[in-house]
Amino acid sequence: MRLFGKFALVGAAMAVSTALAIPASLAEDSLYLPNLAYRTGPFAATGIPLMDGQRDYIAMLNARDGGLNGVKLNYDECETGYNTEKGVECYEKTKDKALVTQPWSTGITLQVLPKSNVDKIPILAPGYGFSPMAEGKIFQWAFNPPASYWDGASMILKYISGGNLDSLKGKKIVLLHLDAPYGKEPIPLFEDMAKKHGFTFLAIPVGVKEMQNQSAQWLQIRREKPDYVLMWGWGAMNAGAASEAVKTHFPMDHFIGIWWSGHDGDMKTVGEGGKGYKSISWSVPVSDAPVMQDIKKYVLDAKVNTIGEGEFDWVFYQRGVLISMFLTEGIKTAQEHFNAKVITPEQLRWGLENLNFDEARIKALGADGMIAPFKTTCADHAGHAGGWILQWDGSKFVKASDLLTADRDAIVPLEQAKAKEYAEANKPWPTNDECKM
Amino acid sequence: MLYRTAGQFKTSYEADFALFPVRQDALLLGVILLFAWLIFPLTASDFAFQTLLIPVLIYSLASLGLNLLTGYAGQLSLGTAAFMGVGAYACYKITTIFPGINLLVALALAGFFPAAIGIVFGLPSLRIKGFYLAIATLAAQFFLVWLFEKWAWLYNYNTSGAIQVPNIRMFGVYVAGPQAASITQYYFVLFVVCLITWFSINITRGRIGRIWKAVRDMDIAAELVGINLMRAKLSAFAISSYVAGVSGALFVFLWRGAAEPNLFDVQLSFRILFIAIIGGLGSILGNFLGAILIVALPVVLNWIPGLFGFSIESAVLQHINTMIIGALIIFFLIVEPLGLARLWGIAREKLILWPFPH
Amino acid sequence: MDLAYQILVKPFSDMVSAPDFLMQVLWDGLVSGVLYALIALGFVLIFKSSRIFNFAQGIMVVFAALTLVGFYQAGVPAWLAVLLTLAVMFVLAVAIERVVLRPLVNQPDIILFMATIGITYFLVGFGEFVFGGENKVMITEQLHIPTGTFEFKPFGGFVSISQTDLTAVIGAGILVTVLLVFLSRTKIGRAIRALGDDHQAALSVGISLSMIWVIVWFIAGIIALATGIVWGARAGVSFALEVIAYKALPVLMLGGLESVLGAIVGGLAIGIFEKLFEIYWGQPLLGGNTETWFAFVFALIVLLFRPQGMFGEKIIERV
Repeated sequence: MRLFGKFALVGAAMAVSTALAIPASLAEDSLYLPNLAYRTGPFAATGIPLMDGQRDYIAMLNARDGGLNGVKLNYDECETGYNTEKGVECYEKTKDKALVTQPWSTGITLQVLPKSNVDKIPILAPGYGFSPMAEGKIFQWAFNPPASYWDGASMILKYISGGNLDSLKGKKIVLLHLDAPYGKEPIPLFEDMAKKHGFTFLAIPVGVKEMQNQSAQWLQIRREKPDYVLMWGWGAMNAGAASEAVKTHFPMDHFIGIWWSGHDGDMKTVGEGGKGYKSISWSVPVSDAPVMQDIKKYVLDAKVNTIGEGEFDWVFYQRGVLISMFLTEGIKTAQEHFNAKVITPEQLRWGLENLNFDEARIKALGADGMIAPFKTTCADHAGHAGGWILQWDGSKFVKASDLLTADRDAIVPLEQAKAKEYAEANKPWPTNDECKM
Repeated sequence: MLYRTAGQFKTSYEADFALFPVRQDALLLGVILLFAWLIFPLTASDFAFQTLLIPVLIYSLASLGLNLLTGYAGQLSLGTAAFMGVGAYACYKITTIFPGINLLVALALAGFFPAAIGIVFGLPSLRIKGFYLAIATLAAQFFLVWLFEKWAWLYNYNTSGAIQVPNIRMFGVYVAGPQAASITQYYFVLFVVCLITWFSINITRGRIGRIWKAVRDMDIAAELVGINLMRAKLSAFAISSYVAGVSGALFVFLWRGAAEPNLFDVQLSFRILFIAIIGGLGSILGNFLGAILIVALPVVLNWIPGLFGFSIESAVLQHINTMIIGALIIFFLIVEPLGLARLWGIAREKLILWPFPH
Repeated sequence: MDLAYQILVKPFSDMVSAPDFLMQVLWDGLVSGVLYALIALGFVLIFKSSRIFNFAQGIMVVFAALTLVGFYQAGVPAWLAVLLTLAVMFVLAVAIERVVLRPLVNQPDIILFMATIGITYFLVGFGEFVFGGENKVMITEQLHIPTGTFEFKPFGGFVSISQTDLTAVIGAGILVTVLLVFLSRTKIGRAIRALGDDHQAALSVGISLSMIWVIVWFIAGIIALATGIVWGARAGVSFALEVIAYKALPVLMLGGLESVLGAIVGGLAIGIFEKLFEIYWGQPLLGGNTETWFAFVFALIVLLFRPQGMFGEKIIERV
């Protein structure tokens, strides 16, 4: 009998696991916006505030305006844990009804990028992903507004050189980066710039397993004595780097991170010691902006969703809000252009290609001062908005520079070359020849 | 009743040693193959192909590779994922250096690289045993993944350091790359998996398999009866790594479409070890049962709350899933440490005797 | 010729020309070595007494640290939080013994090993479920761990030694001494070692297997908490900490699975050598990040000469 009990148990487990599930159908009059979120795993600390911001902006629209033009937004998270395999599973699970793919990791972006041509769902990867994706004629379905990593790199260089890149001649710049596609992303641009402007560039990788113990990397930095350390870090790596920098006596104000390395939660673990640390950012937290106050009113105070203590003022939470705003603005643009309420992924693509975040629009959205104006076209899928340097004052990030913009003339040739290279390697790769820009 | 063996007489040794001494086994296999070759492909959705059918097959194959080494030759390895990685990168280099090459040929060739590296990392097994060897294979795991990261030639010097599978045609149809249809990929994988499984069954039943088993049960004793330990252990490493390498190439080319070095992380090795152990070490069938459980279960668990109309936040769901999987692993180990294949073995014996148990 | 110079001469001339830097490298290596040794110690204790290769040690570190911080955030004073965390680790030890180990007595080693990975998955899910995935700040100051740095200025350069690290080294030293005394002087300690030598003989003289297992897992829990506090003070507490379990494995290879002394010596050796190799050979010649594999390869090479590790028990095989 004991044995039969065993079989029954195992049998039940096997039966469940072999059953092929069928996707549940959804109500017709809503827009399905899946998000391949990660609130678990080693990068959860950085993921949570971003996802919260995204979720809460959409919840606010639903509560305040009843969605977009009367259509409810159905925001749905699929948990990936920053794991590429889970990401692909989520993509496959949601793609039948998804209006958009938000891959949320460079690894997952690289996986779904080639599929986007076949499945015809736009990929929205704001401020991350593959930098040449900005080249809209080749990457028809991928969008990385408002700025690519290369834009960010260029802005940082402009900032540290005081506007004149040639003044960097003879200086030494170290890039401390996560040893993953994300961290390697800016290297070609830096190498190119180093050649052009005569500074020395050195990339120091940090393995995913070494994130919390970077003493070897910082010893190298100490030996190399660079003038500036730039960081493409993520998750636990940021806090680790900041505390090691303190130990190494590296001047904090010469230590500048990309926008994903400017996270309040990470810097809190370093606290006072991290004072002076800078990060470039295309978003600025403005907690009393109308849109943030609406979120507070309709979502947080109404207890629709809850977030952590102090999270509301964080850079990442408010950046999450802006990311959802790109998406909903894309939808709105498409709704107006095609005069339809429920739009298709193809129509959304048009919408995202015609985003127009000008001063007036940003103000109307209640996000005044949170983001710099930008505009996308069919040829330019990023918009290349400017950014600001944010500086950690020991308890929060404050704006520490005027608006910086990327040196597009230097980036465009590289972008086009790399985009072509990608298309070449993935033949046959359809391009958008209708776009005459 | 279903499995009654009465009336099935053997008149020669060949018949007694045949692959299916009991007729019903062959029948059952036929039914399974019918499902795999016809019924599943006709009914499955894209989602089922991409998250259940194809991964289960590929993971089974990887686990088969590991099982040849650990289950049959007794050498515990924690480096399977790295050998899969070598296979994948080798296949990538082969297809980019010779763009017109037939993918099957490329796969077959790609397997030789992990096999050679497997021999190199298998050399310590001649001196080191048990857990020490297991940790030693981790040296392969970490070193090779580091190499995938650093050796830019492997990924054709591209910026992201990740490899992208090009579109590859065979007989006028896309089989790999973004243009390929799921069903073609499924059939391709199924063909390769069936072929290698058939080959493995025969290897493990034959002379080499018996040598391996002797080494596994006690290597000193095996040496004393005249088995060349070096040849036995290294052949196990070579063949195991070959199979793992092919599965790695399939993993990237026919399923994932792109790969970054971290994909072949030690976590993947553990996952495959789980499949082999839950399925049953020293069993071919076990790999498939284990893969169904370990690969498909999380996917299915994700659906359950939806079926009952609960809405749980996806993160919470993920936490609970991880807990359930951990608990299930312990549960299965307690219920039947020899694995699912052993459970099936017991069931089959009961069925043969039924309804007269003794 | 140039390559030979790069490998054989330049690293050493670099070491001599910047001695303060070398001292810093050695100190950093020592600190990591102490941490590796601590984790390896958790492994060794459990392996000695039960032949279980406890892969869950890494997640136990995370779990202990999270529990501590969690209690503190719930408003419990720091000292009480430590005690409560110890209580939780004890409950965990009992639970593991009852639910996992007892039904699996006498199973092959690999099955038990897999069961500990099962425990790892369970604890990852459970920990995230209870505490969430955010990066947490270790309550360093509340535990009265000094956070400043000492500075030395030898040879015209500087060596900075953070007080947290120093505390870690001293604390680990005390912990290890207490443990060694416990193992060699107390009745329970001797019982643990007896179990390690021969299960059946130990059982026949009246040593309770299940009690010893609970105690051993509890000690591993204490070590996990100590490791968690120390490591958490350096870089915050998050699930990314789990990966440090892998760093302990080559230490075990090198030191031997049964040897407490081996774990300590092996840990220090690996900590220092991997740092030296990374700084003087890995970064200039191999593109860096060699710390991921150096320890394994180093241990592998040592093992080729001593197949049971430096301090492991010699295995005599008979047919």
